[in-house]
Amino acid sequence: MSQKLLEVTNLSMHYDTLDGNVDAVKNVSFTVNSGESFGLVGESGCGKTSVAMTLLQLQPDNSVITEGSIKLEGKELIGLSENDLRKVRWDSISIVFQGAMNAWNPVIKIGEQIREAMREHYPQNSKQENINKINELFKMVGLDESISERFPHELSGGMKQRAVIALALSCDPKIIIADEPTTALDVVIQDQILNEIKKVQNLLGLSLIYISHDIAVIAEMTDKIAVMYAGSIVEIGPTQSVFESPKHSYTRALLDSTPSIRGEKKKLRSLDGEPPSLINEIQGCSFSPRCPSPSSGCKNQSVEMGLIQIGEEHFVDKCCSECV
Amino acid sequence: MLIYTVKRFFEMVIVFFLFLVISYLLFNAIPGNAFSSLLLNPLLPPEAYQKTIEAFGLDKPLYERVQLYIINFFKGDFGYSYTYYPRTPIDLIAERLPRTLMLFSIVNVIAFYTGFLVGKILAWRRGSKSETWITIGSVFSYTVFYPWFALMMLWFFGYKMDWFPLGKFLVPEKWYDSPYTSDEIFYTLILFVTVSSFLLFLVFIFTRNIESLQNRRNVRFLGLLSLFALAAMYWSNGEAALKRFYAADIAFHMILPTFTVTLVAFAGTALLTRTTMMEVLKDDYILTARAKGLSQKRIRDRHAARTALLPVVTSFIFTIITIIDGSVLTESIFSWPGMGQLILEAVVQEDIPLAMASFSFIGILALIAHFIADISYAFLDPRIRIKAEN
Repeated sequence: MSQKLLEVTNLSMHYDTLDGNVDAVKNVSFTVNSGESFGLVGESGCGKTSVAMTLLQLQPDNSVITEGSIKLEGKELIGLSENDLRKVRWDSISIVFQGAMNAWNPVIKIGEQIREAMREHYPQNSKQENINKINELFKMVGLDESISERFPHELSGGMKQRAVIALALSCDPKIIIADEPTTALDVVIQDQILNEIKKVQNLLGLSLIYISHDIAVIAEMTDKIAVMYAGSIVEIGPTQSVFESPKHSYTRALLDSTPSIRGEKKKLRSLDGEPPSLINEIQGCSFSPRCPSPSSGCKNQSVEMGLIQIGEEHFVDKCCSECV
Repeated sequence: MLIYTVKRFFEMVIVFFLFLVISYLLFNAIPGNAFSSLLLNPLLPPEAYQKTIEAFGLDKPLYERVQLYIINFFKGDFGYSYTYYPRTPIDLIAERLPRTLMLFSIVNVIAFYTGFLVGKILAWRRGSKSETWITIGSVFSYTVFYPWFALMMLWFFGYKMDWFPLGKFLVPEKWYDSPYTSDEIFYTLILFVTVSSFLLFLVFIFTRNIESLQNRRNVRFLGLLSLFALAAMYWSNGEAALKRFYAADIAFHMILPTFTVTLVAFAGTALLTRTTMMEVLKDDYILTARAKGLSQKRIRDRHAARTALLPVVTSFIFTIITIIDGSVLTESIFSWPGMGQLILEAVVQEDIPLAMASFSFIGILALIAHFIADISYAFLDPRIRIKAEN
């Protein structure tokens, strides 16, 4: 049914800092088909946002992409000139940022901030056409038309987040990256926003890359999921398969740390230790120091990291495929 | 709110009263008086000096003079200038003030505009070589000892290169057979500058709603062209054509002081803009703007610079308050016959009525500005309003 829309292969990126290189993204590969939702899950600082920024080539100036490619409909994005990138941004890939509260410029009206993007990508549209489209989008995300004429500080957090979604949809992108879009919101609003995103995605047949530390949200939102740890993907596969039979011990630890409504009551487990510093080069499996059941090869860190297939489209890091 | 305003107003009156008394006493603390120099003339009989002093009431005891001055002041009588007798201080201020305001308004508008532009580009090019050098240059011009710098400019451009006149308002030789007074010409100039800046402002206001960027730029360019055409038409027809020659003379004398003060004043704005804008550039909405695929120029001008504008505007308003007292140095160095020179002259000559009138004028301006600032803060910030009412 679906064709490959976005293809990321062997992407590695580090930040050049005074303390040394921070390897934020290591050898990450995944594909997103059209109409599919792809989830990226992992704890804070594991490189999720770095991946998202790299997809739009919006990474900070001190970052260096050492290898890999990002192909959008077969077109390579890495190395494109700023002008060519501008055409891709928002038109093909748009993003809903982590802090929607600060995503709006405080001194420009909401409507104008959306129209400005549309002017850039649809220069032929008249002002009225743009306004009509914005009103339509606002209706879709459950906002009143009058929001256009408001300044950001006049809106509540939830309204701002809805408006951000409308903004992300304004130029008919093929992929939306949602980078923890609900982190700053309370649970009720969070649920509404998630439903809104899902509804819009189905309605417009968009691809979605959903980034979150909340594995429960990811489970609800996505068809395919990748678990990231210390800059690498340790397990990737169809959401259902990953949830039903998690192979990597980190994935299992993540699942065990979340309460479930149904099923027997279990004590929630948390992992000891903390994620490794990405400045130092890690030998072997990056998760082994915290692994509850490391294998011998894992322990003396002789096994190189790398994914191997264990099920239909289900891949897991070599190290853990051995220990189970 | 009303109670607060009334309270503030009465405070203002009291402060002004104290200001008047203290200034008057301070001027009297200067040894001698305006006519002491008469005593140096051996040909003048001592009675003449005595008579002059009595005529101006300088022989009365100090407390009586203070009393008289303040009563007369509130009656609206500011006395006569000693040095420009029989002209009144009001008459003199009315003549000098427009010259100062004209020169320094132009300077400030140019300085803030260019300072903002430069600061914006500096922040945008953070880390580049040009940024380093221009920032060092700005810090130099911000901290340079101004009188020395102005003298150097005068020496270089006025004397060495001989491009500009060495100060003054006009070249008297050109005005011998002039049918107009210099003030008449100057008022024409002021009117011209005011009307043209107003029209320019209108052009920008009316074109800001044009959706397409390309069209907006074109329309604005056309607007500017037609303004130039209008200006050319104005100066080449009727009476203005006759005034042109003299107006050009005054305008020519304005160039060097304008340039010098601008060079010093723009640096502060540039550095302020640079700092604020660097803060703004870290904000999330700049990232949003980049993700939207906007052009670099648009992100810089519309998103970053627009927010960084607020502190610059505040500092602009406070600069306007200090125009008159700030003009003393510049006007003395460039012999520009404005308020600054008038004040200096009045103080040096101990021309108490003139000095008092000029200083009260500055005092009233400062008080009104602070009054407006206080009221508008109270109006804008509910927390101040509540505090003020209790």
